Amino acid sequence: MEIAFYITAAITIISTLLVITRYNPVHALLYLVVSLLSLGMIFYLLGAAFAALLEVIIYAGAIMVLFIFVIMLLNLGKETAEQEKKWLKPKVWAGPAILALVLFIELCILLNTNDQAQYISELHVDPKVVALSLFRPYLIGVELAAMLLMAGVVGAAHIGQHKKTVLHRFLQEKEGT
Amino acid sequence: MSASDFYALSPLLLLAGSSVLIMLLIAVRLSHRIIQISSLLLFAISLYSTVFTADILPYRIPPLLIFDGFSSFITALIIFSSLVVNILSYVYFDEKEESPKEYYVLLFLCTLGSCVLAISNHFVSLFLGLEILTVGLYALIAYLRGRNHSIEAGVKYLVLAAFSSAFLLFGMALIYLETGTMNFSEIGERLRTVDNIPVIFITGLGMMLVGVGFKLAIFPFHMWTADIYQGSPAPVTAFIATASKGGMFAVLFRFFASIQGFNFPEIITILSVVAIASMLVGNLLALRQNNVKRILAYSSIAHFGYLFVAFIPRNAISLEAISFYLLSYFITTLTAFGIVTLLSVRETDAEDIGRYKALFWQHPILACVLTASMLSLAGIPLTAGFIGKFYVLAAGLQGGFWLLAIILVLSSVIGLYYYLRIITIMFSKEEHAEIIEKKAHPGFYVASSAALVILTFVILLLGIYPDAVIKLLGGFSMS
Repeated sequence: MEIAFYITAAITIISTLLVITRYNPVHALLYLVVSLLSLGMIFYLLGAAFAALLEVIIYAGAIMVLFIFVIMLLNLGKETAEQEKKWLKPKVWAGPAILALVLFIELCILLNTNDQAQYISELHVDPKVVALSLFRPYLIGVELAAMLLMAGVVGAAHIGQHKKTVLHRFLQEKEGT
Repeated sequence: MSASDFYALSPLLLLAGSSVLIMLLIAVRLSHRIIQISSLLLFAISLYSTVFTADILPYRIPPLLIFDGFSSFITALIIFSSLVVNILSYVYFDEKEESPKEYYVLLFLCTLGSCVLAISNHFVSLFLGLEILTVGLYALIAYLRGRNHSIEAGVKYLVLAAFSSAFLLFGMALIYLETGTMNFSEIGERLRTVDNIPVIFITGLGMMLVGVGFKLAIFPFHMWTADIYQGSPAPVTAFIATASKGGMFAVLFRFFASIQGFNFPEIITILSVVAIASMLVGNLLALRQNNVKRILAYSSIAHFGYLFVAFIPRNAISLEAISFYLLSYFITTLTAFGIVTLLSVRETDAEDIGRYKALFWQHPILACVLTASMLSLAGIPLTAGFIGKFYVLAAGLQGGFWLLAIILVLSSVIGLYYYLRIITIMFSKEEHAEIIEKKAHPGFYVASSAALVILTFVILLLGIYPDAVIKLLGGFSMS
């Protein structure tokens, strides 16, 4: 299915270009979701179904939803409702939706074709192989990744710490005694 | 993993375990003093463990890690410099507005990342080690988060380091595409079967050099150095200048030795240009600076240029020269930043050169220590820096790289100007005596000063009687 690869690759490039040319962050994020989904599709075509799933679950799922929520929550103000109405105009969501639809149709067609023809490479990597290589030869790598996360969490906890709350002077006196 | 794997890994396991242990100590709300002393002990134990695991060298944990004399030496050097940074940190951080406790956790993690770099033999461990180091440093640089300079430095480092990591990853991907493996020695084997270097490979190598060059702050990627050295807390600057660069340099050397990159004239040309430009740019930019931290930042650019003079020939004494130079540079830089740390006050770091005016008449010991370290950085005889530079020159000349050697000598002469300027300022006579401020923690202050004095003696010892160390370094091999 070489043709599927080219369509997906085109969608990835188009949507990524649109991400970096949008003015409104929310519009950019919608295209970013599509770009990540099509990246997942490319992984699938290459025979790495597990990596494709992770791409969808972690990037397009968890991280992007978090991004969108944060950006929407940052715009709290009087005009929030109006702004949300503006965001829901078809002009905004039509582009990403069409690109995502193309990907979806492609996926449906691929799932209906027979097993071998789906992929563009000979090699398939199923989850078991991934797990075996992660927990046998690359075990130290997994442990190091854990330390990496710890560094990130400790650093973020320090940088994001709240300042001590300033108490009212009456309360301060009470605490002092 | 077998028992001997754990034995070989024990320095790293100790560092990783210490970071968790310190976190537990923070959780039970122990004081800064207890946390500092226990982390000092833990650093000392991990340093000792690098010595007692030396008997199983060389050792491999395929496919990621490799332990040999060189990597073990660099690991010990990195842990040692973190230990010194740890000693200096108490006085510095105790009077600051931030709670200083998480600092020690991050210091352990950064040290771990740097050590992983020094022993990695695979792109995966290289990247993971680099990221542990970098992510820890983001927080360490911006540790005093109330201060504008710190935040600015932290954000700059974050953006640039993330960008350079992306280059590094892309370069690795291209090399993987060409050779089909990420193990250094296997890449070397694949390359031996081809006559000409493939174009994709050299592109990948160039992109990797961007990532590595950023971390080492060599010529085209040096723009961040001065701002980040200035903005980060003084002990953290000492860490960036020593431990974080040492690990990266070790892995770069191992990678080039495994792929035998020194046989390809294209690579030699690229590295020579980088080395020459780093030596000149570093020394020229430092000339007009009035900020000691910035001067040291530019001098570090030049010093890594010097190191490349020993790196490029890759002959019999290259390894020895690099090890010795790193040793002398680490000790000297730690001493210099130690003085900056000790002279810092609550509000500002002692970075303005005016702060050092007539220092000799107020703190004669500190002034002498700083003088020794400046002379060593400049490469004056009887100091470690001289022997290091001599070694580097010998390695370069033995390989027939005359141009590099000449540029090294010329730029050292330029460098003399700003090192000596600091010394003359310290010894200049001042009209009115400044009041010497009382330090809040006399005990720790004395301990830090004593550590610096010991380091100064080591600098002089290495300069006067380097035989013992040279014998040790000569026994190293890289497998």
